[in-house]
Amino acid sequence: MSASLLLQAVILGVLLGGLYALLAAGLTLYFGIMRVVMIAHAAFLVLAAYLAWWINREMGIDPLLSLVVTVPLFFVIGVLIQRLLVSRLKPLTLTMMSVLLTFAVALVIEGGLGFLFTGTQRRIPLSYASDSLNLFGAQVPVVKLIAFGLAALSLALLFLLLKYTRFGQALRATIQHPEAARLVGINTDRVAGYGFGLGLATAAIGGTALSLDATIYPSLHWHWIGPLMAIIVVGGLGSIPGAAIAALVLGVAQSLLQLPMGPTWAQTVFYIALFLTLMFRPQGFFGGRLAKRF
Amino acid sequence: MNAQRDHGATAVDNLRTVDMTKTFGGVTAVDGASVQFQEGKVNGLIGPNGSGKTTFFNCVTGMIKPDSGSVLYRDKTITRQSPDRIARAGIGRSFQLCRVFPRMTVMENLLVAVRHTSIGRQLRSARDEEELERARGWLRRVGIDHLEHAEARNLSYGQQKLLELAGVLMGEPDTIMLDEPAGGVNPALIGRISTLVRELNAEGKTFIIVEHNMEMVMSLCDHVVVFDRGRPIAEGAPEIIQRDPRVLEAYLGV
Amino acid sequence: MPSASNPGPVITETIVVAPSAPVRPSWSKWVRITLLVVGAALVLAFPTIAPNPYILSAGVVILNYAVLSTGWNFMGGFTGYISLGHAAYFGLGAYGTALLIRNFALPSFLAWFVAALLVAIIAIPVGIAALRVRGASFVIVSIAFVLILLLVFQSWRDVTGGSEGLTVPRPFPDLLRPEHHRVFYYLFAALLAVALAVWWIIDRSKFGTALKSIREDEDKSQSLGVPTTQYKLIAYVLSAVFVSFGGGLYALWFGDLDPIFQFSILIGSYMVLMALLGGVRNLFGPLLGAVVVGSALEYFKLEFGDTQFHLIATGILLGVVVLFMPDGIIPAVKALFTRSSNQASIREVTAGELLEENRARSAETVPPRRPDASGEETP
Repeated sequence: MSASLLLQAVILGVLLGGLYALLAAGLTLYFGIMRVVMIAHAAFLVLAAYLAWWINREMGIDPLLSLVVTVPLFFVIGVLIQRLLVSRLKPLTLTMMSVLLTFAVALVIEGGLGFLFTGTQRRIPLSYASDSLNLFGAQVPVVKLIAFGLAALSLALLFLLLKYTRFGQALRATIQHPEAARLVGINTDRVAGYGFGLGLATAAIGGTALSLDATIYPSLHWHWIGPLMAIIVVGGLGSIPGAAIAALVLGVAQSLLQLPMGPTWAQTVFYIALFLTLMFRPQGFFGGRLAKRF
Repeated sequence: MNAQRDHGATAVDNLRTVDMTKTFGGVTAVDGASVQFQEGKVNGLIGPNGSGKTTFFNCVTGMIKPDSGSVLYRDKTITRQSPDRIARAGIGRSFQLCRVFPRMTVMENLLVAVRHTSIGRQLRSARDEEELERARGWLRRVGIDHLEHAEARNLSYGQQKLLELAGVLMGEPDTIMLDEPAGGVNPALIGRISTLVRELNAEGKTFIIVEHNMEMVMSLCDHVVVFDRGRPIAEGAPEIIQRDPRVLEAYLGV
Repeated sequence: MPSASNPGPVITETIVVAPSAPVRPSWSKWVRITLLVVGAALVLAFPTIAPNPYILSAGVVILNYAVLSTGWNFMGGFTGYISLGHAAYFGLGAYGTALLIRNFALPSFLAWFVAALLVAIIAIPVGIAALRVRGASFVIVSIAFVLILLLVFQSWRDVTGGSEGLTVPRPFPDLLRPEHHRVFYYLFAALLAVALAVWWIIDRSKFGTALKSIREDEDKSQSLGVPTTQYKLIAYVLSAVFVSFGGGLYALWFGDLDPIFQFSILIGSYMVLMALLGGVRNLFGPLLGAVVVGSALEYFKLEFGDTQFHLIATGILLGVVVLFMPDGIIPAVKALFTRSSNQASIREVTAGELLEENRARSAETVPPRRPDASGEETP
């Protein structure tokens, strides 16, 4: 195995890890704010990819431009899901029931996509699809670089938003101590809604990034939700930096394992990591005390 | 029987902790606490809010694992054992905000308690007549036998407190730890609970009670331990504790 | 000295008017027995009544669903831990049975038992990992487990046949199709009866009371001496074993396995939906749910063929159940009856009087005549 092949695998792993990190951040937001395990996250990812593909097919514009529509749209959908569906659940059984509810949403999305667009595999024809950049002897496709750039930029924005804005403060307060947040006058319901919207917006961006170089089909989301779930558990449920680190590490591991094992078997790395984490360090590797409580 | 119990009290402590410490992300809730509680007595554990009493309780009963130190029950270590093992070893406990199983009936709430885990016993019907009679006995004892078939969530808070107590007693513990038994209940009920504690103590059960209601503590307890900032600062008979300047300082924050 | 400063809950010493004994009309016992007998008779007579082999095979499928969701309910119903990945054990039972017959030449039904035993052994470490952390992680592991098995069974071509699938030697090679269905119909019915009996025994046992207390408040339960970790694991393994039996019998009946179906998340979600729809706290809840959802699914398949529509319908129905009737049909109907007998304030938790009535009622409608399952709500 040549060094350049190895380097290429590492670079591709990091690029993939960036996308994982963005999506895992979204999942972490839902879980942090409301203890909701959002199974439909990956379904929305695929939905966004389909929208990018459809807009490209109908209007012939670059899929990246679809972000202008999908990001605000998904934000609103996220707020609505939180306000209309999730908030109806009883707090006592919220985590379990939210899983079922979002699972139901995922089924509806998958079924709807299959209904509208059939199960045929789709791919956006891009003029720059096969272009690649030579980085230190490794061939890196331009589309993957764009996808990574998009993910990294969004993640950075998300981080700044959470860290430095009033809304971000309110959101973090809600995550850490909902009752206390309410006492100091934060409208936690509204904050939770916006947090949900933000989470879903990451799915919109991720989906667009995904559509650049992936073949999409309605049941694709199952291939994503498993690894993403594994990432947030390994990262310590509820910790965004933890999830990001876990995403990068596992992304690189997957990419490296692809060389000897092939793509299918390499995916098992996520599940093995998940299993080992729960066996030996159930609070996750980078997270706080949140996990133990749920 | 009484004499034997008194003998026991001098021979071994009922419950003892040695240098127990628990910190939560930089905040030390229990700070090297070494405490003894006496066999056959009603022990009180008091202290200002946030002095670590409940954390101490949770560490002793295994709900939280202490960072360091040890817990001994009748001279046998129970440090870091799971809560259910500690319960089956003979320590029953109530919770600060009383906890019952809301969607089970009062009777079913009592039938949960597990004393023996042998398969034969566990597969026997929960409603075996002997168990039902025993449960009814405890319900009569705490005075809610008329509610046997009601769902626990339909009970008033005071009734739930009594139900929780009956549930703990159903496990036939030798030592009963109560976390604020008088919290949030009316004076009449406080009287009822105090009487119960006295009677049960006379029957040989050891009590360890965390309580804010000083009247209750002073009238009920034989021995009081005062907690401040995660460790005991004084202990002794209630009359002595009441006059201890360190205790007043801790409470009034002078 | 300061006295109580902790703001406890508001004191409301209203005395609940308690019923002196469980209110059970005197006729109720006989109604229940009659319904049980009638229900059982209907189930047993179905193969004779069924107009054609197709309907009969639909009956087999529905009984299979009933076995699976009753099996699922050992975990979900008793402990409240909802597994979305029980299709893993369905697939393992099916593939286990098939592979043991093909590779080790075991007799069909011996292979079926051995496969269930192997599944129990696999379920132990998985259960330990999944139950280490409460709630969320359990669900995540359950989904991850079925996804990983799907990957493995698709990729490991040498053993599992990969995506081409696997044919299972028939246990009764001489039987004609209708006869084959009829035999398996009764086998599934027997398996279901065993599963229901075991569930019933646990339900009324001390062990069952302990499991149900875990569902209500796990910490509290543990503080009362319930070894929650072990009990949850026992329930999980039992649940896996019954689902595995269901899968193995499916393999012997259907004779053709395909990883995408065997390890599909959808099968797992059917189990949850059926149990939840009927009522997870009730012995016959999953069976009732299986009859309703199973008939609807079979009807959809007949009317609309292989479209994505069943996904949407399943999704919407699941959402409706979760949001509006998380306790299921049986408690909803029961509440209706209790209200009419002046017991509105206190709901009784005695064994379900109306289960059998319900079951019998829907058993009559087994040949699917319901137009649309997606929008159905409580009557």
